[in-house]
Amino acid sequence: MGDSDFVYGSSLSIDSMKVIAESIGIGSLGDDAAKELADDVTYRLKVILQDAMKFMHHSKRQKLSITDIDHTIKSKNIEPQYGFLQPDSLPFRFASGGGRELHFIEEKEIDLSEILSAPPPKVPLDVSVRTHWLSVDGVQPTVPENPPPLTKEIQKLESVDPISKLNKPTNKDAAGKPMCGKAARLKASESVHVKQLATHELSVEQQLYYKEITEACVGSDEGRRAEALQSLACDPGLHEMLPRMCTFISEGVKVNVVQNNLALLIYLMRMVKALLDNQSLYLEKYLHELIPSVSTCIVSRQLCLRPEMDNHWALRDFASRLMAQICKTFNTSTNNLQTRVTRLFAKALQCPSQTNNENGVGPSMVTTMKESEKTPLASLYGAVQGLAELGPEVVKVFILPRVRWLGERVEGALSGLGGADRQAAGNLKQQLLKVLAPVVRQLRQPPDLPEEYKRDYGYLGPSLVQMVAKQRSSPAGGGGGGAVAVVTCTPPLVPSAPSPSPSPSPLQSHSHTFSTKTVETVATRNVVISASPTPQSPAPATPPPQKFVIVASQQKPPQAQPASGASHIVVHSSQPAIVRSQNVQSVVVTSGPAGAAPPQKVVVVGMPPQAAPPASSAPASAAHPSHPPLVQTASHPPAVASSASQAPVSVVAKPVFTRGGGGGAPQPPPELDDLSHLA
Amino acid sequence: MGDKSTPLLAVLQLLRKYNLKGTEEILRKEASLGDAEYENLDLPEVELASILTAHHTESDPYSYEFAYESLKKFIENSLDIYKYELSTLLYPIFVHMYMVLILYEHTTHAANFLEKFGPEQEDYYQEDLKKFSIVKNKDQIKGNELAEIYSSNKFVVQLSRDASSQLKRFLHEQKTTVIINIINNHIQIEVHDGPGRSLAQIRATAGGMLGEATRNENRTKVYYGLLKEPDIQLPPVPVEDEEETEETPDKPKKKKAKKDNIFMKKPKSDPNAPPSDRIPLPEMKETDKLEKGKALREASKRVHLGPDSLPSICFYTLLNSGHTAICADICDDSTLLAVGFNNSTIKVWTLTPVKLRGMKSAEKLQDIDREAGDVLVRMMEEKDRDTCRTLFGHSGPVYKVAFDPFKNLLLSCSEDSTVRLWSLQCWTCLVVYRGHVWPVWAVRWSPHGHYFASAGHDRAARLWATDHHQPLRIFAGHLSDVDCVQFHPNSNYIATGSSDRTIRVWDCLTGTQVRIMTGHKSPIFVLSFSVCGRWLASGGGGGELMIWDISTGLPAATLPPAHTAPIHALAFSRDGTILSTGSLDCSIKLWDFTAITEEVSGEEIGNNSTVQKDDRFLLRSFPTKNSPIKDLHFTRRNLLLGVGSYEGSS
Repeated sequence: MGDSDFVYGSSLSIDSMKVIAESIGIGSLGDDAAKELADDVTYRLKVILQDAMKFMHHSKRQKLSITDIDHTIKSKNIEPQYGFLQPDSLPFRFASGGGRELHFIEEKEIDLSEILSAPPPKVPLDVSVRTHWLSVDGVQPTVPENPPPLTKEIQKLESVDPISKLNKPTNKDAAGKPMCGKAARLKASESVHVKQLATHELSVEQQLYYKEITEACVGSDEGRRAEALQSLACDPGLHEMLPRMCTFISEGVKVNVVQNNLALLIYLMRMVKALLDNQSLYLEKYLHELIPSVSTCIVSRQLCLRPEMDNHWALRDFASRLMAQICKTFNTSTNNLQTRVTRLFAKALQCPSQTNNENGVGPSMVTTMKESEKTPLASLYGAVQGLAELGPEVVKVFILPRVRWLGERVEGALSGLGGADRQAAGNLKQQLLKVLAPVVRQLRQPPDLPEEYKRDYGYLGPSLVQMVAKQRSSPAGGGGGGAVAVVTCTPPLVPSAPSPSPSPSPLQSHSHTFSTKTVETVATRNVVISASPTPQSPAPATPPPQKFVIVASQQKPPQAQPASGASHIVVHSSQPAIVRSQNVQSVVVTSGPAGAAPPQKVVVVGMPPQAAPPASSAPASAAHPSHPPLVQTASHPPAVASSASQAPVSVVAKPVFTRGGGGGAPQPPPELDDLSHLA
Repeated sequence: MGDKSTPLLAVLQLLRKYNLKGTEEILRKEASLGDAEYENLDLPEVELASILTAHHTESDPYSYEFAYESLKKFIENSLDIYKYELSTLLYPIFVHMYMVLILYEHTTHAANFLEKFGPEQEDYYQEDLKKFSIVKNKDQIKGNELAEIYSSNKFVVQLSRDASSQLKRFLHEQKTTVIINIINNHIQIEVHDGPGRSLAQIRATAGGMLGEATRNENRTKVYYGLLKEPDIQLPPVPVEDEEETEETPDKPKKKKAKKDNIFMKKPKSDPNAPPSDRIPLPEMKETDKLEKGKALREASKRVHLGPDSLPSICFYTLLNSGHTAICADICDDSTLLAVGFNNSTIKVWTLTPVKLRGMKSAEKLQDIDREAGDVLVRMMEEKDRDTCRTLFGHSGPVYKVAFDPFKNLLLSCSEDSTVRLWSLQCWTCLVVYRGHVWPVWAVRWSPHGHYFASAGHDRAARLWATDHHQPLRIFAGHLSDVDCVQFHPNSNYIATGSSDRTIRVWDCLTGTQVRIMTGHKSPIFVLSFSVCGRWLASGGGGGELMIWDISTGLPAATLPPAHTAPIHALAFSRDGTILSTGSLDCSIKLWDFTAITEEVSGEEIGNNSTVQKDDRFLLRSFPTKNSPIKDLHFTRRNLLLGVGSYEGSS
């Protein structure tokens, strides 16, 4: 009776009865009485629950609610228990100890005055009706209102266990494609089922879609590209096209890397980003195509025609974030994705010396110089960035031990003659400092002595010590709380230009700094290069007049603030600001390098939701540029690139802030404002 | 003491019943029974018999277990042609043995008995068994719903003649009379002349709370044909208002019907149709005729559906409704959507650009020229327009709403045990129909208007006319809640589905039960008659879908389980070729109804052979994004409309 009869239900225990009796003041309840009560209460509770099921069913629910029990009690002519309302399921807490187990509801004491003084809660939204097509002539359109034809779970299952698909030959007929004509008849008659080889045949509509999307993604019309990327990122039901999309991307990367077509590489990476963002897709099956492509864009020796001019760094940053996102999403204990990717990057850092770097003994200068031809600085930069996005732990283990050697490389390149190399070295240095500073700050105790740093980290030591010191002094502590705009106005690193002060840049790494550079070349061309949230001052650009505007802001409107420094300007206020550099006074710059303008690559790496409004639409005040709502920006083309080959394209350049979902940087993604209102 | 006194008390009660005072007195003295026990002579009447007949074995609780095991062994060892039929005996015998054990207060034995043999009972009885297993002592038997059903009704078991003689032989060989007593008292064995049925055949009809429907119960003729559509150009055929006093079901009054039907559009008369005046139907109003004409015009533009031309589905998602929206209905011309809510309100939306308008106030109405041609337009308020209107009045969750065929009225039923009639012109409640005692689960209009049927927790369905505040008929007979009700297209019958897992068809004229159909394995939540009137589709709590032949009362098809949650919506396409089902598992499925009926017609009608069909009838399934389906509706042009409430991404 009180025994555990689990097949046909359990019953309340005698102990519970006693506890309940005690709670209402009956101290000594006899065992017999308690047992009698337990049996009876169990019976009555079960009767009520059985009837409550009917109320639940008639309310067309599958979850019993408290109102069901109330109605049941009412129907049995018992006063219902008032005051028990729980819109969702009851959050039972469990506690055990002393051999006793207890389930209870956590009840918090509520301060009434707090409730009274608080603003009234929002009125719940009224019920509304929304219409959509669930099926058109028997085919379910893949619109966002409909669930994806293959749920993510099934895609996942298929990628893990392909046999499961063969076991369910009917699932396609039941859920997916129309079964008509010959196939239906074949199925009806008992024919021999031949396993079809091509399981991903596309309908005519899908073929058209594929064509449109791929053309738009790599075409010159920014508006269409934005729509296409939006479609890739949001539309359900793309899974049938995934193999082709991925092949398209991987082939595209292969071709364009060879041709150094930076713009197209960026477009392709944005496609990857869109696919990754699509909630209804499960990409694991296609990682073998995506990962090589993405890592190519991170560490490739050369990604653009003129490494000294074009901002291929942004592409590397963006691709690194993509890689981090991929690792985060798809890493499992079986594929060891993150380990393999980490090893890939680590190898790039390790490769030239061939010696064991971990023991702290850096390779000699001679070897480095000799090997430096093997691993270009750009690749090193990519590898560092790729590792940095994987988190501080990875930085600590894989980058920190090689700082000395990397420093030597940088030093060598900076003192060298090659313009591109020097620029690359500068970038690499900034990147290293930014990546390492937080880690070093955690590792070392406060007295930051330049000598120690110099000893431990070689060339980069002095810069690092300043960086760390700055971080320690800043109250935000790297949290990146306030939106800070940092404007760097630096003469670009042109070969002839004096090298930027080798002194450590005063950039605060706790703040997001974006170097956004607008280069207006001939006539209608707006070029915006938006770099990643890395303090990446001197952004490479074409020599002639240009403006660097870095605007970082989250919610607060930026304020214009004049800046004086010629090199790096750090605005310490939490207010975002737009600063114009002294030496670049004119905002509207119309002349490019007279006529010479070699194919101008424009690099914009963008993530649509955070895009700024189109440049053309915002001639407004520079002081209070409006921050567009997400919806609006999503519909606008976020970024632009143009290449010389597509000559008369009137492209509207918009700065776009990019930020991969993964990575270790915990800062919230800021928005980049439009630049054109400076015009 | 307990197990000793029970039979004594039973004897005493028997003596008292027959007024044998002397003997009673002597027995009482001899047994030295206390007054308290003597006063408590209230054993259930039916149990009395079983106690008396079983009293000599009652002292030995093990005999039940032994008897049950030997019966099981006998059935397992019998020939296959008898085996499956005989095995239907096991569950009722098991249940009654358990009850007797409880009655004799062998509670431990009862629990063991339940634990040992309970799990091996048929899967469709497990739900009942779980409910019944909470009864653990004598006092609980009284007042328990299931225990009362089991003890006061006879469980029906159908056996072939050979099987029953096998059984008789076995029972004679038995030493104990335990089983024979139970069979005598609680089981009704129907002997049929056919050969023993197969497992599949039995499974098709088994599942009722009290066993299978017998064939005798379904002998009455049912006029499942359709009434003639009145010609809307001509004044409708005058119908006589007198009710026929005596009904002779076996004599269809075709001739009379034909005479009336001379002016009808279709010259051919349906031989299965009831006389058009069998049930007095209201005369159509002018506006109704206009509506009908519109419907016919629309119907001529109808898309023909079939397996190769599936309907388009337009889905209405109720946002922000969470779990509050309960039921929905779309009116016949698909212009209005009504939704009943948990919080006692009803909301009506317009699905077309035409706004919902209220009627003018009484003073203003007096100024209107009643002879004007556009009086109907004039009487409506000009300013007061809305796309959604809310009706307040109920004091409990609204479980069903229904538009009348001419979309002037709306019916709703609620937990507050009332049915309310609402006007869609002045947007107020017109009548409150009280009659049900407990929550009303379902309400449906007759296809011709005027009549409606309701069903509820009080195990009865009621037939009402809008102009009577009391029900015209009460259809009682279900053993548990009546969960759904549906009018036959000819308005002469209503079908009810119940938690006792039976579907019953009632004659509106006589109020008698003309069909009882078993085969569902879970409560029936929705019913729908086919367009031709011969078939009835039913959807159950377990997501199973069954098609019934009204002419015979037998299951025509048990469709393979495709839904995983209760089906709460059924709709036939207007041309009757596609059946759509909507379920709480957030999917709509389309079935090839033509193929299903062809399959059945091809078979020999009359024998109980219904084989499990493979899944070729299922045409397609359309999942929604976590929106359980509340209602389905085919427009006159065969566009399928679905209604569901979005419950958020989980």
